[in-house]
Amino acid sequence: MSKMGFFSNLFKKKDKKKDAAPAAAPAAAPAAAGASSMGGSIYAETDANQPIPGYVPGLGAPEGGKIKLAIYWAAACGGCDVSVLDSDEKVLNVGAMADIVMWPVAADGKEKDIEEMEDGSITVSLINGAVRNAENEHMVRLLRQKSQLVVAYGSCACFGGTPALANLIPGGSKEVLDYVYNQTPTSKAFCEAYPDKPHVPQTEIDVPEGHLTLPTLYNRVKSLDQVIDVDYYVPGCPPTQETLGQLLDAVVAFVYKGVALPPKGTHIGVTKRTLCEECPRHKENKRLDEIKEPYQVNIDPDKCLMDQGILCLGAATVGGCGAKCTRVGQPCRGCYGPTDKVTEHGASVFTAVASLFPILEEDPTCKEDKIIDIMSSIKDPLGYFYAYTMSKALIARSVKEGGQ
Amino acid sequence: MADFEPRIVTFCCNWCSYAGADGAGVARLQMPTNFRIIRTMCSARVDPEHVLRAFSKGADGVMILGCHPADCHYIGGNYRARRRIALLRMVLEQYGFDPRRLKLEWVSASEGEKFQKTICEFVDTIKALGPTPLVKGDE
Repeated sequence: MSKMGFFSNLFKKKDKKKDAAPAAAPAAAPAAAGASSMGGSIYAETDANQPIPGYVPGLGAPEGGKIKLAIYWAAACGGCDVSVLDSDEKVLNVGAMADIVMWPVAADGKEKDIEEMEDGSITVSLINGAVRNAENEHMVRLLRQKSQLVVAYGSCACFGGTPALANLIPGGSKEVLDYVYNQTPTSKAFCEAYPDKPHVPQTEIDVPEGHLTLPTLYNRVKSLDQVIDVDYYVPGCPPTQETLGQLLDAVVAFVYKGVALPPKGTHIGVTKRTLCEECPRHKENKRLDEIKEPYQVNIDPDKCLMDQGILCLGAATVGGCGAKCTRVGQPCRGCYGPTDKVTEHGASVFTAVASLFPILEEDPTCKEDKIIDIMSSIKDPLGYFYAYTMSKALIARSVKEGGQ
Repeated sequence: MADFEPRIVTFCCNWCSYAGADGAGVARLQMPTNFRIIRTMCSARVDPEHVLRAFSKGADGVMILGCHPADCHYIGGNYRARRRIALLRMVLEQYGFDPRRLKLEWVSASEGEKFQKTICEFVDTIKALGPTPLVKGDE
Protein backbone atom coordinates (compact mmCIF):
# COMPACT_ATOMS: atom_id res chain seq x y z
CA MET A 1 0.00 0.00 0.00
CA SER A 2 1.50 3.31 -0.99
CA LYS A 3 1.93 6.26 1.32
CA MET A 4 -0.22 8.39 -0.89
CA GLY A 5 -3.07 6.00 -0.56
CA PHE A 6 -5.31 8.65 0.95
CA PHE A 7 -6.33 10.56 -2.11
CA SER A 8 -6.51 7.56 -4.36
CA ASN A 9 -8.66 5.86 -1.80
CA LEU A 10 -10.93 8.81 -1.25
CA PHE A 11 -12.65 8.19 -4.52
CA LYS A 12 -12.12 4.50 -4.94
CA LYS A 13 -14.84 2.02 -4.13
CA LYS A 14 -13.66 -1.16 -2.51
CA ASP A 15 -15.61 -4.16 -1.47
CA LYS A 16 -13.32 -5.53 1.12
CA LYS A 17 -14.28 -8.15 3.58
CA LYS A 18 -14.50 -6.84 7.07
CA ASP A 19 -11.27 -7.66 8.87
CA ALA A 20 -11.61 -9.82 11.90
CA ALA A 21 -9.57 -7.83 14.40
CA PRO A 22 -11.51 -4.58 14.57
CA ALA A 23 -14.78 -6.46 14.42
CA ALA A 24 -14.06 -8.59 17.41
CA ALA A 25 -12.14 -6.21 19.61
CA PRO A 26 -14.55 -3.32 20.23
CA ALA A 27 -16.93 -5.56 22.07
CA ALA A 28 -14.13 -6.78 24.28
CA ALA A 29 -12.41 -3.46 24.60
CA PRO A 30 -14.45 -1.66 27.24
CA ALA A 31 -14.20 -4.62 29.58
CA ALA A 32 -10.49 -5.03 29.03
CA ALA A 33 -9.85 -1.40 29.72
CA GLY A 34 -12.11 -1.36 32.73
CA ALA A 35 -9.21 -1.38 35.15
CA SER A 36 -8.04 2.05 34.11
CA SER A 37 -11.56 3.41 33.99
CA MET A 38 -12.74 5.85 36.59
CA GLY A 39 -15.24 7.43 34.25
CA GLY A 40 -12.62 10.04 33.47
CA SER A 41 -10.25 10.65 30.66
CA ILE A 42 -7.44 8.83 29.07
CA TYR A 43 -4.26 10.81 28.51
CA ALA A 44 -4.93 12.68 31.70
CA GLU A 45 -1.96 15.01 31.74
CA THR A 46 -0.86 15.16 28.14
CA ASP A 47 1.60 17.79 27.06
CA ALA A 48 0.13 19.18 23.90
CA ASN A 49 3.54 19.69 22.33
CA GLN A 50 4.78 16.16 22.72
CA PRO A 51 4.64 13.95 19.65
CA ILE A 52 1.89 11.39 19.83
CA PRO A 53 3.41 8.06 20.88
CA GLY A 54 3.10 5.26 18.41
CA TYR A 55 1.78 7.61 15.81
CA VAL A 56 4.16 6.82 12.97
CA PRO A 57 3.50 8.42 9.59
CA GLY A 58 3.11 6.11 6.62
CA LEU A 59 1.93 3.08 8.49
CA GLY A 60 0.25 1.57 5.48
CA ALA A 61 -2.70 -0.73 5.73
CA PRO A 62 -3.05 -2.84 8.86
CA GLU A 63 -3.03 -6.59 8.71
CA GLY A 64 -6.35 -7.88 7.54
CA GLY A 65 -7.07 -4.80 5.45
CA LYS A 66 -8.17 -1.27 6.06
CA ILE A 67 -10.77 -0.28 8.55
CA LYS A 68 -13.77 1.74 7.42
CA LEU A 69 -14.23 5.31 8.61
CA ALA A 70 -17.19 7.62 8.20
CA ILE A 71 -17.19 11.31 9.08
CA TYR A 72 -20.54 13.04 9.10
CA TRP A 73 -21.87 16.47 9.92
CA ALA A 74 -25.28 17.09 11.39
CA ALA A 75 -26.23 20.58 12.63
CA ALA A 76 -22.70 21.93 12.46
CA CYS A 77 -20.77 24.82 10.99
CA GLY A 78 -18.14 22.70 9.24
CA GLY A 79 -15.37 23.75 11.59
CA CYS A 80 -15.01 20.22 12.95
CA ASP A 81 -14.47 18.83 9.45
CA VAL A 82 -11.89 21.51 8.83
CA SER A 83 -10.19 20.55 12.10
CA VAL A 84 -9.78 17.01 10.73
CA LEU A 85 -8.23 18.39 7.56
CA ASP A 86 -6.10 20.68 9.72
CA SER A 87 -4.22 17.69 11.07
CA ASP A 88 -1.71 18.27 8.25
CA GLU A 89 0.20 15.18 7.17
CA LYS A 90 -1.53 13.05 9.79
CA VAL A 91 -4.57 13.03 7.57
CA LEU A 92 -2.52 10.93 5.11
CA ASN A 93 -2.14 8.38 7.84
CA VAL A 94 -5.89 8.29 8.19
CA GLY A 95 -6.14 7.55 4.50
CA ALA A 96 -3.48 4.85 4.72
CA MET A 97 -5.21 3.18 7.61
CA ALA A 98 -8.85 3.58 6.71
CA ASP A 99 -11.22 3.59 3.81
CA ILE A 100 -13.25 6.74 4.15
CA VAL A 101 -16.71 5.52 3.22
CA MET A 102 -18.43 8.81 3.87
CA TRP A 103 -17.27 12.37 4.47
CA PRO A 104 -19.63 14.88 2.90
CA VAL A 105 -17.20 17.79 3.14
CA ALA A 106 -14.24 16.09 1.47
CA ALA A 107 -15.05 12.71 -0.01
CA ASP A 108 -17.68 10.84 -1.94
CA GLY A 109 -20.03 8.33 -0.37
CA LYS A 110 -23.76 8.82 -0.34
CA GLU A 111 -26.59 7.83 1.93
CA LYS A 112 -27.55 4.91 -0.32
CA ASP A 113 -23.98 3.56 -0.22
CA ILE A 114 -24.18 3.48 3.56
CA GLU A 115 -27.64 1.94 3.47
CA GLU A 116 -26.34 -0.90 1.32
CA MET A 117 -23.60 -1.75 3.79
CA GLU A 118 -24.00 -4.49 6.36
CA ASP A 119 -24.79 -3.51 9.93
CA GLY A 120 -21.64 -2.87 11.92
CA SER A 121 -19.37 -2.78 8.89
CA ILE A 122 -18.10 0.75 9.52
CA THR A 123 -15.40 0.61 12.20
CA VAL A 124 -15.60 4.21 13.40
CA SER A 125 -18.03 7.03 12.68
CA LEU A 126 -17.01 10.52 13.71
CA ILE A 127 -20.18 12.56 13.91
CA ASN A 128 -20.00 16.29 14.48
CA GLY A 129 -22.88 18.67 15.00
CA ALA A 130 -26.06 18.62 17.02
CA VAL A 131 -29.26 16.90 15.93
CA ARG A 132 -31.71 19.51 14.83
CA ASN A 133 -33.90 18.14 12.06
CA ALA A 134 -35.34 14.92 10.71
CA GLU A 135 -32.47 14.43 8.26
CA ASN A 136 -29.83 14.76 11.01
CA GLU A 137 -31.68 12.20 13.05
CA HIS A 138 -32.12 9.78 10.14
CA MET A 139 -28.44 9.95 9.19
CA VAL A 140 -27.05 9.54 12.70
CA ARG A 141 -29.37 6.59 13.34
CA LEU A 142 -28.25 5.04 10.06
CA LEU A 143 -24.58 5.54 10.92
CA ARG A 144 -25.14 4.12 14.39
CA GLN A 145 -26.69 1.01 12.88
CA LYS A 146 -23.81 0.55 10.45
CA SER A 147 -20.97 1.40 12.85
CA GLN A 148 -19.17 -0.42 15.61
CA LEU A 149 -18.00 2.78 17.27
CA VAL A 150 -19.60 6.21 17.19
CA VAL A 151 -17.64 9.23 18.33
CA ALA A 152 -19.40 12.49 19.20
CA TYR A 153 -16.85 14.82 17.66
CA GLY A 154 -16.91 18.45 18.77
CA SER A 155 -18.95 20.41 21.27
CA CYS A 156 -22.18 20.43 19.26
CA ALA A 157 -22.32 16.63 19.12
CA CYS A 158 -21.26 16.35 22.78
CA PHE A 159 -23.38 19.07 24.40
CA GLY A 160 -25.53 20.72 21.73
CA GLY A 161 -23.08 23.57 21.20
CA THR A 162 -24.02 26.94 19.78
CA PRO A 163 -26.95 25.64 17.69
CA ALA A 164 -28.63 24.54 20.92
CA LEU A 165 -29.03 28.18 21.99
CA ALA A 166 -31.99 28.08 19.59
CA ASN A 167 -33.73 26.09 22.34
CA LEU A 168 -34.18 29.40 24.11
CA ILE A 169 -36.38 30.83 21.37
CA PRO A 170 -39.87 30.71 22.93
CA GLY A 171 -41.71 29.95 19.69
CA GLY A 172 -39.47 27.02 18.76
CA SER A 173 -38.87 26.01 15.15
CA LYS A 174 -41.86 28.01 13.92
CA GLU A 175 -40.41 31.25 15.23
CA VAL A 176 -36.95 30.41 13.88
CA LEU A 177 -38.31 29.76 10.39
CA ASP A 178 -40.52 32.82 10.50
CA TYR A 179 -37.61 35.03 11.49
CA VAL A 180 -35.22 33.65 8.91
CA TYR A 181 -37.63 33.57 5.97
CA ASN A 182 -39.91 36.52 6.76
CA GLN A 183 -38.19 38.99 9.06
CA THR A 184 -34.58 39.36 7.99
CA PRO A 185 -34.00 42.24 5.55
CA THR A 186 -33.12 40.02 2.58
CA SER A 187 -36.10 37.74 3.21
CA LYS A 188 -38.34 40.76 3.54
CA ALA A 189 -37.26 41.97 0.13
CA PHE A 190 -38.09 38.54 -1.30
CA CYS A 191 -41.47 38.48 0.41
CA GLU A 192 -42.33 41.88 -1.05
CA ALA A 193 -41.19 40.89 -4.52
CA TYR A 194 -43.13 37.61 -4.51
CA PRO A 195 -46.12 38.15 -2.25
CA ASP A 196 -48.10 35.19 -3.62
CA LYS A 197 -45.32 32.58 -3.24
CA PRO A 198 -44.80 30.58 -0.05
CA HIS A 199 -41.96 32.16 1.92
CA VAL A 200 -41.18 29.54 4.52
CA PRO A 201 -39.87 26.28 3.03
CA GLN A 202 -42.51 23.57 3.03
CA THR A 203 -41.63 20.10 4.33
CA GLU A 204 -43.73 18.59 1.54
CA ILE A 205 -44.89 20.02 -1.76
CA ASP A 206 -46.34 18.68 -5.01
CA VAL A 207 -44.88 20.24 -8.13
CA PRO A 208 -45.43 19.21 -11.78
CA GLU A 209 -42.17 17.25 -11.63
CA GLY A 210 -43.28 15.22 -8.63
CA HIS A 211 -43.48 15.13 -4.85
CA LEU A 212 -40.71 17.02 -3.02
CA THR A 213 -39.83 16.78 0.64
CA LEU A 214 -37.56 18.63 3.08
CA PRO A 215 -36.53 17.57 6.58
CA THR A 216 -38.62 18.88 9.48
CA LEU A 217 -36.91 21.34 11.79
CA TYR A 218 -37.22 20.30 15.44
CA ASN A 219 -38.26 22.54 18.32
CA ARG A 220 -35.38 21.32 20.40
CA VAL A 221 -31.75 20.94 19.36
CA LYS A 222 -30.38 17.71 20.79
CA SER A 223 -26.91 16.46 21.51
CA LEU A 224 -25.89 13.27 19.73
CA ASP A 225 -26.25 11.03 22.79
CA GLN A 226 -29.83 12.18 23.25
CA VAL A 227 -30.63 10.48 19.96
CA ILE A 228 -28.25 7.53 19.60
CA ASP A 229 -25.85 5.53 21.70
CA VAL A 230 -22.43 7.21 21.71
CA ASP A 231 -19.15 5.43 22.49
CA TYR A 232 -16.69 8.30 22.85
CA TYR A 233 -16.80 12.04 23.20
CA VAL A 234 -14.29 14.47 21.76
CA PRO A 235 -15.20 17.95 23.02
CA GLY A 236 -13.92 21.22 21.64
CA CYS A 237 -15.04 23.89 19.25
CA PRO A 238 -13.38 22.58 17.20
CA PRO A 239 -11.42 19.74 18.84
CA THR A 240 -7.71 20.50 18.88
CA GLN A 241 -5.29 18.70 16.62
CA GLU A 242 -3.72 17.13 19.70
CA THR A 243 -7.07 15.67 20.70
CA LEU A 244 -7.66 14.35 17.23
CA GLY A 245 -4.16 12.89 17.40
CA GLN A 246 -5.06 11.14 20.65
CA LEU A 247 -8.22 9.75 19.15
CA LEU A 248 -6.40 8.53 16.04
CA ASP A 249 -3.62 7.17 18.18
CA ALA A 250 -6.09 5.11 20.18
CA VAL A 251 -7.57 3.81 16.94
CA VAL A 252 -4.11 3.09 15.48
CA ALA A 253 -2.99 1.27 18.61
CA PHE A 254 -6.17 -0.73 18.49
CA VAL A 255 -6.02 -1.59 14.79
CA TYR A 256 -2.30 -2.38 14.58
CA LYS A 257 -1.41 -3.64 18.04
CA GLY A 258 -4.73 -4.84 19.39
CA VAL A 259 -4.48 -2.43 22.33
CA ALA A 260 -7.86 -2.18 24.01
CA LEU A 261 -9.85 0.93 23.32
CA PRO A 262 -10.64 3.29 26.19
CA PRO A 263 -13.79 2.47 28.19
CA LYS A 264 -17.09 3.46 26.69
CA GLY A 265 -18.23 6.97 27.44
CA THR A 266 -14.69 8.36 27.75
CA HIS A 267 -14.18 12.00 26.97
CA ILE A 268 -11.01 11.93 24.93
CA GLY A 269 -8.37 14.61 25.28
CA VAL A 270 -9.65 16.14 28.51
CA THR A 271 -7.91 16.40 31.85
CA LYS A 272 -9.48 15.67 35.21
CA ARG A 273 -9.30 19.25 36.34
CA THR A 274 -10.46 22.62 35.16
CA LEU A 275 -8.83 24.87 32.63
CA CYS A 276 -7.36 27.10 35.39
CA GLU A 277 -4.93 24.23 36.15
CA GLU A 278 -3.27 24.53 32.76
CA CYS A 279 -3.72 28.24 32.18
CA PRO A 280 -0.33 29.95 32.52
CA ARG A 281 -1.79 33.21 33.80
CA HIS A 282 -1.10 34.26 37.38
CA LYS A 283 -4.16 34.27 39.58
CA GLU A 284 -4.52 36.59 42.56
CA ASN A 285 -8.17 35.73 43.26
CA LYS A 286 -9.19 39.35 43.12
CA ARG A 287 -12.81 40.35 43.59
CA LEU A 288 -14.78 41.57 40.61
CA ASP A 289 -16.23 45.06 40.82
CA GLU A 290 -17.37 45.24 37.28
CA ILE A 291 -17.57 42.93 34.29
CA LYS A 292 -15.71 44.10 31.23
CA GLU A 293 -15.48 42.96 27.64
CA PRO A 294 -12.00 42.01 26.41
CA TYR A 295 -11.87 45.03 24.09
CA GLN A 296 -12.43 47.42 27.01
CA VAL A 297 -9.32 46.26 28.84
CA ASN A 298 -5.67 46.67 28.07
CA ILE A 299 -5.06 43.04 28.89
CA ASP A 300 -2.06 42.23 31.06
CA PRO A 301 -0.49 39.15 29.43
CA ASP A 302 0.51 37.52 32.74
CA LYS A 303 -2.49 38.10 34.96
CA CYS A 304 -5.65 36.04 35.26
CA LEU A 305 -8.37 37.37 32.98
CA MET A 306 -10.96 37.07 35.73
CA ASP A 307 -8.75 39.25 37.96
CA GLN A 308 -8.88 41.83 35.18
CA GLY A 309 -12.67 41.84 35.13
CA ILE A 310 -13.18 39.66 32.07
CA LEU A 311 -15.72 36.85 32.41
CA CYS A 312 -13.78 33.65 31.83
CA LEU A 313 -15.42 30.24 32.11
CA GLY A 314 -12.13 28.47 32.78
CA ALA A 315 -12.87 27.99 36.47
CA ALA A 316 -15.68 25.55 35.70
CA THR A 317 -14.65 24.16 32.31
CA VAL A 318 -12.65 20.98 32.01
CA GLY A 319 -9.07 21.36 30.78
CA GLY A 320 -7.32 19.57 27.95
CA CYS A 321 -7.24 22.21 25.26
CA GLY A 322 -3.95 23.65 26.51
CA ALA A 323 -5.57 27.00 27.36
CA LYS A 324 -5.28 28.16 23.78
CA CYS A 325 -7.74 31.03 24.20
CA THR A 326 -6.57 32.41 27.52
CA ARG A 327 -2.94 32.30 26.36
CA VAL A 328 -3.78 34.88 23.72
CA GLY A 329 -5.95 37.04 25.95
CA GLN A 330 -9.38 35.70 25.09
CA PRO A 331 -11.55 34.38 27.92
CA CYS A 332 -12.57 30.73 27.98
CA ARG A 333 -16.08 30.30 26.59
CA GLY A 334 -16.50 26.79 27.93
CA CYS A 335 -16.46 24.68 24.77
CA TYR A 336 -14.92 21.66 26.55
CA GLY A 337 -17.91 21.40 28.86
CA PRO A 338 -17.93 20.63 32.57
CA THR A 339 -15.64 18.35 34.55
CA ASP A 340 -16.86 14.80 35.08
CA LYS A 341 -18.15 15.61 38.57
CA VAL A 342 -20.60 18.20 37.28
CA THR A 343 -23.69 17.78 35.15
CA GLU A 344 -24.79 21.38 34.89
CA HIS A 345 -21.99 23.39 33.32
CA GLY A 346 -23.68 26.79 33.36
CA ALA A 347 -24.75 26.55 37.00
CA SER A 348 -21.24 25.52 37.91
CA VAL A 349 -19.86 28.60 36.17
CA PHE A 350 -22.15 31.12 37.71
CA THR A 351 -21.69 29.68 41.17
CA ALA A 352 -18.02 30.49 40.74
CA VAL A 353 -18.60 33.87 39.13
CA ALA A 354 -21.13 35.05 41.72
CA SER A 355 -18.67 34.25 44.50
CA LEU A 356 -16.14 36.61 42.96
CA PHE A 357 -18.28 39.66 43.61
CA PRO A 358 -17.04 41.39 46.77
CA ILE A 359 -19.06 41.68 49.95
CA LEU A 360 -19.98 45.29 50.43
CA GLU A 361 -20.04 47.32 53.60
CA GLU A 362 -23.74 47.93 53.07
CA ASP A 363 -24.37 44.22 52.60
CA PRO A 364 -25.86 43.62 56.09
CA THR A 365 -28.48 46.30 55.54
CA CYS A 366 -29.22 46.42 51.83
CA LYS A 367 -32.17 44.76 50.11
CA GLU A 368 -32.10 42.08 47.42
CA ASP A 369 -32.88 44.66 44.70
CA LYS A 370 -29.45 46.18 45.28
CA ILE A 371 -27.83 42.77 44.79
CA ILE A 372 -29.78 42.23 41.58
CA ASP A 373 -28.50 45.61 40.39
CA ILE A 374 -24.93 44.49 41.06
CA MET A 375 -25.36 41.14 39.34
CA SER A 376 -27.00 42.80 36.34
CA SER A 377 -23.55 43.85 35.22
CA ILE A 378 -23.42 40.36 33.74
CA LYS A 379 -25.29 40.64 30.48
CA ASP A 380 -27.18 37.63 29.16
CA PRO A 381 -26.05 35.13 31.83
CA LEU A 382 -28.03 32.25 30.36
CA GLY A 383 -26.59 32.68 26.88
CA TYR A 384 -23.08 33.25 28.17
CA PHE A 385 -22.83 30.45 30.71
CA TYR A 386 -24.65 27.88 28.61
CA ALA A 387 -23.11 28.89 25.28
CA TYR A 388 -22.05 25.31 24.50
CA THR A 389 -24.06 23.09 26.80
CA MET A 390 -27.70 24.09 26.39
CA SER A 391 -28.82 20.67 25.14
CA LYS A 392 -27.38 19.06 28.24
CA ALA A 393 -28.85 21.59 30.69
CA LEU A 394 -31.39 20.40 33.24
CA ILE A 395 -33.87 22.78 31.69
CA ALA A 396 -33.01 22.57 28.02
CA ARG A 397 -35.84 24.63 26.58
CA SER A 398 -37.34 28.03 27.16
CA VAL A 399 -40.67 28.02 28.97
CA LYS A 400 -43.75 30.20 28.83
CA GLU A 401 -45.65 31.25 31.95
CA GLY A 402 -49.39 30.71 31.79
CA GLY A 403 -49.02 28.27 28.93
CA GLN A 404 -50.75 25.45 30.79
CA MET B 1 -57.13 27.00 39.15
CA ALA B 2 -58.80 26.82 42.57
CA ASP B 3 -57.80 23.21 43.19
CA PHE B 4 -54.17 23.73 42.24
CA GLU B 5 -51.89 22.62 45.06
CA PRO B 6 -48.36 23.76 44.33
CA ARG B 7 -45.30 21.66 45.06
CA ILE B 8 -42.63 23.77 46.67
CA VAL B 9 -39.07 22.84 47.56
CA THR B 10 -37.69 24.75 50.52
CA PHE B 11 -34.01 24.81 51.38
CA CYS B 12 -33.40 25.75 55.01
CA CYS B 13 -30.02 26.47 56.51
CA ASN B 14 -29.19 24.31 59.49
CA TRP B 15 -28.42 27.10 61.94
CA CYS B 16 -31.24 29.60 61.53
CA SER B 17 -34.09 28.73 59.24
CA TYR B 18 -34.35 25.05 60.05
CA ALA B 19 -34.49 25.94 63.73
CA GLY B 20 -37.05 28.60 62.80
CA ALA B 21 -39.14 25.96 61.06
CA ASP B 22 -38.82 23.80 64.16
CA GLY B 23 -39.97 26.73 66.24
CA ALA B 24 -43.00 27.20 64.01
CA GLY B 25 -43.84 23.52 64.46
CA VAL B 26 -43.40 23.55 68.23
CA ALA B 27 -45.60 26.64 68.47
CA ARG B 28 -48.22 24.81 66.35
CA LEU B 29 -48.49 27.62 63.85
CA GLN B 30 -50.87 26.74 61.04
CA MET B 31 -49.51 26.79 57.52
CA PRO B 32 -50.11 25.11 54.18
CA THR B 33 -48.43 21.76 53.62
CA ASN B 34 -47.29 22.36 50.07
CA PHE B 35 -43.61 22.64 50.89
CA ARG B 36 -40.89 20.06 51.44
CA ILE B 37 -37.89 21.12 53.48
CA ILE B 38 -34.36 20.15 52.55
CA ARG B 39 -31.88 20.99 55.26
CA THR B 40 -28.51 22.32 54.15
CA MET B 41 -25.64 23.43 56.32
CA CYS B 42 -25.77 26.95 54.91
CA SER B 43 -27.83 28.84 52.35
CA ALA B 44 -24.59 29.06 50.35
CA ARG B 45 -24.56 25.27 50.15
CA VAL B 46 -27.53 25.48 47.80
CA ASP B 47 -25.93 25.08 44.43
CA PRO B 48 -27.89 26.69 41.57
CA GLU B 49 -27.87 23.18 40.12
CA HIS B 50 -30.05 22.03 43.05
CA VAL B 51 -32.60 24.70 42.27
CA LEU B 52 -32.55 24.01 38.53
CA ARG B 53 -32.94 20.31 39.23
CA ALA B 54 -35.96 21.01 41.42
CA PHE B 55 -37.55 23.05 38.64
CA SER B 56 -36.64 20.48 36.01
CA LYS B 57 -38.39 17.80 38.04
CA GLY B 58 -41.56 19.83 38.18
CA ALA B 59 -41.35 22.00 41.29
CA ASP B 60 -43.73 24.95 41.05
CA GLY B 61 -41.61 27.10 43.29
CA VAL B 62 -38.32 26.99 45.17
CA MET B 63 -37.57 28.85 48.36
CA ILE B 64 -34.20 29.33 50.00
CA LEU B 65 -34.16 30.42 53.62
CA GLY B 66 -31.01 31.46 55.42
CA CYS B 67 -29.66 33.43 58.36
CA HIS B 68 -30.15 37.16 58.32
CA PRO B 69 -27.33 39.21 56.78
CA ALA B 70 -24.49 39.68 59.27
CA ASP B 71 -25.83 36.67 61.18
CA CYS B 72 -24.44 33.77 59.13
CA HIS B 73 -22.98 30.92 61.11
CA TYR B 74 -20.17 30.84 58.56
CA ILE B 75 -19.71 34.65 58.59
CA GLY B 76 -20.38 35.32 54.91
CA GLY B 77 -22.23 32.36 53.43
CA ASN B 78 -25.52 34.17 53.00
CA TYR B 79 -23.80 37.02 51.14
CA ARG B 80 -22.52 34.51 48.61
CA ALA B 81 -25.92 32.87 48.42
CA ARG B 82 -27.79 36.09 47.69
CA ARG B 83 -25.45 36.90 44.80
CA ARG B 84 -25.86 33.45 43.34
CA ILE B 85 -29.61 33.52 43.75
CA ALA B 86 -29.79 36.96 42.15
CA LEU B 87 -27.93 35.59 39.15
CA LEU B 88 -30.08 32.48 39.14
CA ARG B 89 -33.22 34.61 39.10
CA MET B 90 -31.89 36.39 36.02
CA VAL B 91 -31.25 33.02 34.38
CA LEU B 92 -34.73 31.73 35.25
CA GLU B 93 -36.24 34.90 33.85
CA GLN B 94 -34.34 34.34 30.60
CA TYR B 95 -35.76 30.83 30.42
CA GLY B 96 -39.22 32.38 30.70
CA PHE B 97 -40.00 31.55 34.33
CA ASP B 98 -41.57 34.20 36.49
CA PRO B 99 -38.68 35.13 38.83
CA ARG B 100 -41.13 35.15 41.75
CA ARG B 101 -41.04 31.36 41.60
CA LEU B 102 -37.65 31.54 43.31
CA LYS B 103 -37.62 33.25 46.68
CA LEU B 104 -34.79 34.05 49.02
CA GLU B 105 -35.74 35.03 52.54
CA TRP B 106 -33.96 35.44 55.86
CA VAL B 107 -35.49 33.56 58.80
CA SER B 108 -33.64 33.35 62.09
CA ALA B 109 -33.89 30.57 64.67
CA SER B 110 -36.32 32.55 66.81
CA GLU B 111 -38.59 33.57 63.96
CA GLY B 112 -41.16 30.80 63.83
CA GLU B 113 -43.83 33.31 62.96
CA LYS B 114 -41.82 34.75 60.13
CA PHE B 115 -41.32 31.23 58.81
CA GLN B 116 -45.07 30.68 58.84
CA LYS B 117 -45.74 34.05 57.21
CA THR B 118 -43.11 33.44 54.51
CA ILE B 119 -44.53 30.03 53.66
CA CYS B 120 -48.09 31.34 53.51
CA GLU B 121 -47.14 34.25 51.29
CA PHE B 122 -45.07 32.11 48.96
CA VAL B 123 -47.80 29.49 48.58
CA ASP B 124 -50.25 32.29 47.73
CA THR B 125 -47.80 33.72 45.18
CA ILE B 126 -47.34 30.35 43.50
CA LYS B 127 -51.07 29.62 43.54
CA ALA B 128 -51.61 32.92 41.76
CA LEU B 129 -48.87 32.12 39.23
CA GLY B 130 -50.24 28.66 38.48
CA PRO B 131 -48.40 25.41 37.81
CA THR B 132 -44.84 25.33 36.54
CA PRO B 133 -44.55 26.38 32.90
CA LEU B 134 -42.20 23.50 32.24
CA VAL B 135 -43.67 21.18 29.63
CA LYS B 136 -42.41 17.62 29.57
CA GLY B 137 -41.65 15.89 26.32
CA ASP B 138 -41.83 18.96 24.11
CA GLU B 139 -39.65 18.04 21.18
